[in-house]
Amino acid sequence: MEVFSEYILCFILFCIGLYCVLRRRNIIKIVIGLGIIEYAVNLFFVLVGYKEHGRAPILAKGQVVSPMVDPIPQALVLTSIVIGLAITALIVAIAVRIFEKYGTFDITKIRRLKG
Amino acid sequence: MKNPEKGMTVIVKTITRLTVGLILLYGIYIVLHGHVSPGGGFAGGVIIALSFIHLMLAFGKEVALKKLSLAAASILESLGAIMFLTIALLGFIGGYFFLNFFPHKGEPFELFSAGIIPICNIAICLKVGAGLFAIFAVLILFRGKDENGSL
Repeated sequence: MEVFSEYILCFILFCIGLYCVLRRRNIIKIVIGLGIIEYAVNLFFVLVGYKEHGRAPILAKGQVVSPMVDPIPQALVLTSIVIGLAITALIVAIAVRIFEKYGTFDITKIRRLKG
Repeated sequence: MKNPEKGMTVIVKTITRLTVGLILLYGIYIVLHGHVSPGGGFAGGVIIALSFIHLMLAFGKEVALKKLSLAAASILESLGAIMFLTIALLGFIGGYFFLNFFPHKGEPFELFSAGIIPICNIAICLKVGAGLFAIFAVLILFRGKDENGSL
């Protein structure tokens, strides 16, 4: 049971981000919630590659052979961070356009299409 | 830097003047040591872009855009992409894509070694640093245009 405790923590972080996206009305807070979800998923990927008593997968000078954690999820998470940066920049640009058009960040007041 | 009206308070400006060079130097260090220690082109490029963004936050957008204009950032970003592609295509003189074509590959854990990998790191650093700075500058300029338009 204690093997999965870190995954439960990761899931709680994901749920906090999901609550933030679904319940907040301010667009900036929704962007922050999306960031929290992204970090929870990144943390999950890094934890999948973890190994008991493993050290960081870096080859140093004069190092004896020792168990290392899996480096592949870390490389994947690096790519994921880059894509997350681009997505956040896109969402912020759209939020700026919305503020320019409606003068508010409250999503309940952005309802011009509903008539 | 002469105009006291623009930007943040005197405390922030003084601390920025002291630290922004160190941040830029640390970014260059991360890029150049990318093949022997953690870091590399992406992380170093982000740190270099953050030094310019720091300048922009503290002194206002005119000072930062005088150091690195939007056109210069665009040229540097394209130069990074073309440099990376050129290095990859130069591998065809020895046989295949991304071939490390230097005859002397160097020693392990030495700074000036590893063939094309440091040059690739510098290309990625140019691309990421200029691109991140351009994104931030475009968001800032966008908001400024809106204020002038609404008035």
